Amino acid sequence: MFIKVQSATNLGLDTIGVDIELNISNKGLPGFEIVGLAGKSVGESKERVRTAIANSGMEFPQKRIIVNLAPADFPKEGSFYDLPIAIGILSSILEFKIPEKSLFFGELSLDGTLRHTRGALLLALFAREKGFRNIFVPKQSSNEAAIISGIKVFPLQTLQELVSNLLGKIKIMPAKYEQKRCPGNGFSEFDMAEILGQEQAKRAVEIAASGGHNIFMVGSPGSGKTMLARAVPGILPYLDEKESLEVTKVYSASGNIPPDGSIITICPFRSPHHTISQIGLVGGGSNPSPGEISLAHRGVLFLDEFPEFPRSIMEALRQPIEDGVLTIARSRARVKYPARFMLIASANPCPCGYLYHPKKACVCSEREIKKYKKRISGPILDRIDLHVEVPVVEADAFSEDEKKRPREFSSAVKQRVLLAREIQRERFLNENIFINAEMKNKHIKKYCLISKQARQILNQAIASFNLSARSYFKMIKIARTIADLSKTEIIGANHIAEALQYRSKFYET
Amino acid sequence: MANIVKIEDKKYPDMLRVLGKDAPKQLYYKGKWDKSIFENCLAVVGSRRMTTYGKQITQKLVSQIASAGITIVSGFMYGVDAQSHKAASESGGRTIAVMPCGIDRVHPEYQIKLYNDILENNGLIISEYEGDSQPGYWTYPARNRIVAGISKAVLIVEAGEKSGSLITANLAKKFKRKVFSLPGQITSLVSVGTNQLIKQGAEMVTAADDILEFFKLSRDPSSKKASQISIEDGSLNSLEQQIINQLQREPMEIDLLARNLQIAAAELGRTVSLMEIKGQIKKENGKYYVY
Repeated sequence: MFIKVQSATNLGLDTIGVDIELNISNKGLPGFEIVGLAGKSVGESKERVRTAIANSGMEFPQKRIIVNLAPADFPKEGSFYDLPIAIGILSSILEFKIPEKSLFFGELSLDGTLRHTRGALLLALFAREKGFRNIFVPKQSSNEAAIISGIKVFPLQTLQELVSNLLGKIKIMPAKYEQKRCPGNGFSEFDMAEILGQEQAKRAVEIAASGGHNIFMVGSPGSGKTMLARAVPGILPYLDEKESLEVTKVYSASGNIPPDGSIITICPFRSPHHTISQIGLVGGGSNPSPGEISLAHRGVLFLDEFPEFPRSIMEALRQPIEDGVLTIARSRARVKYPARFMLIASANPCPCGYLYHPKKACVCSEREIKKYKKRISGPILDRIDLHVEVPVVEADAFSEDEKKRPREFSSAVKQRVLLAREIQRERFLNENIFINAEMKNKHIKKYCLISKQARQILNQAIASFNLSARSYFKMIKIARTIADLSKTEIIGANHIAEALQYRSKFYET
Repeated sequence: MANIVKIEDKKYPDMLRVLGKDAPKQLYYKGKWDKSIFENCLAVVGSRRMTTYGKQITQKLVSQIASAGITIVSGFMYGVDAQSHKAASESGGRTIAVMPCGIDRVHPEYQIKLYNDILENNGLIISEYEGDSQPGYWTYPARNRIVAGISKAVLIVEAGEKSGSLITANLAKKFKRKVFSLPGQITSLVSVGTNQLIKQGAEMVTAADDILEFFKLSRDPSSKKASQISIEDGSLNSLEQQIINQLQREPMEIDLLARNLQIAAAELGRTVSLMEIKGQIKKENGKYYVY
């Protein structure tokens, strides 16, 4: 008896249809084999399926069962083949019909319940694209898939429930999408209003968020660099529908959507520790999975203690910062992950951290400080537009009045950021870019009109501050964003003058 | 190739010869040995961890003193030492660097540019050690005795509580040399030593004239006015004038400046950038200074 069940597997962010072919025969010794380049997790599926069927109150057939995963020439990994295999076997003994144009996807628990399985969103997208009508997924994974319209997503709690449904005994209602707060990802831990002082740094962060610029903060421990960085998601615009899907796909494929999770609408914020491996940061593995930079797609990648990151890891950031995508090529697979993020890097002014500290003395020698600064490579610094110093704020430097004076909330800053983003969106309508930070020289020539006075200041600054050609363009890009924040078309002297505040001073190589 | 001057040579500096057992037996040197360079020497030493205040004052005092014809002697370490060599060379004065290592070694090596500048401006590099020998813990204080001995007076710019500069000051006292000390804020860790010296009787320095008087020299009168920071001309608008007033009182970060002037940091940043371009103020170590 031959049975075919359809499912699909995710390779990176691509989805490939897989047919699960079962042949159940009365001839030969009873047995259960899976062929078709099944990996370890697929091979173990045999035991899960056998036990789950038994624990669901049904009998596992004592026949010769061959399962083929077709196409049989690429390696299969993952636990989601449990459900299609079990359904195929059960249909042979219980004689129900497997519904047409349906995909089955899910991992079985030994007691016959279905577990949260990664990649349900990608499966739903694939189903819609290929004209499938129904997908059967674990209940805990159904919400993320239900966002996709045009297909029915059936949430399953147990194997028994699905069998009863297919036998016509009960009815399962298709899942309705429900937006939930997704813990651990996104919503800002700090509000700008919580930060005392740091007016210049706050302004720099606002400009960075408006134009999507990368930003570098230098300051002693305890000066508030981390707090500022963590407040950034709160002033970034929410993701639009297209961006949400892009981000959620990466999270879904890598198993980062929690059970019952919904799609991600808030900018991701990732802050890997400096002991991270290169693969952890940019992605990789023989079955390439996305790294932190892809999980920070459309959001913020915060690298605290930047000089502590190994040089090779810093250099690996260069290409994704330029291109916004990363191709991971391995012998078994070649996978493309998006990685368009805003980089926030922070560093101490010296190894001990207390150089320029008002109270504590620095114990580093000049040589050590030079060495520390050199750990950050020039090409990376070149790719960071804004540089800002974050001085230590001593609470006793503020009078009681100053402490009590109302500070601006993130929501107010966000309004300005949104307006600036809107101006940028309209400007780049016919271009392949979205934000000022992505402007190349040709865009700068086209979209950055500079007043005569502003150009004079810029030229003087080149002479006084020894600005490189690259810094020159960086200043114009920042001035463009500052002008957008003040809703001005032509970049004026004021905008350039302010932009010059954010030139690289401390870590000039 | 380094040259050598022995204690029995006629061109050996008299100031050192009289030190008795503290006098080095020989001096290796680079540059042109001209005995006149040893006539009026002032040692300028201080902390390696120089503050911007120390840097500013060293620059100002040394350039005035050196251009009056006094040779500036120091130890070629980074910080105050390097700054005084630099200021002396730039102002056209002569300077002597006393090395704690072999004469063929540049230590610290990244100061090679300064090293060459000293030689190009008729300065001298001297050491009592030959060849390429490494500096050791004992060679720094030993070097200090030459710095103090060769000079008629010693100026300590900044020194912490246990600074090596205080060793130089003590040696200067032992050799009966005049000790000048620059006062600093009592909260500054690198002014503890210099303030202590003043308490103990070192002469307080507040202007280059204090030292030039000792050398029976006076400063070129035309340059007298220039030391006063006088930015009162009409080119400043009122905000710029307010910024200058604030910064003359105390160097500060932009956030503090903005708070004191009750103005948004972004707006203040614009003016500050322009003033920086014009060279009216300067940012260093995170704070703004009147230039």
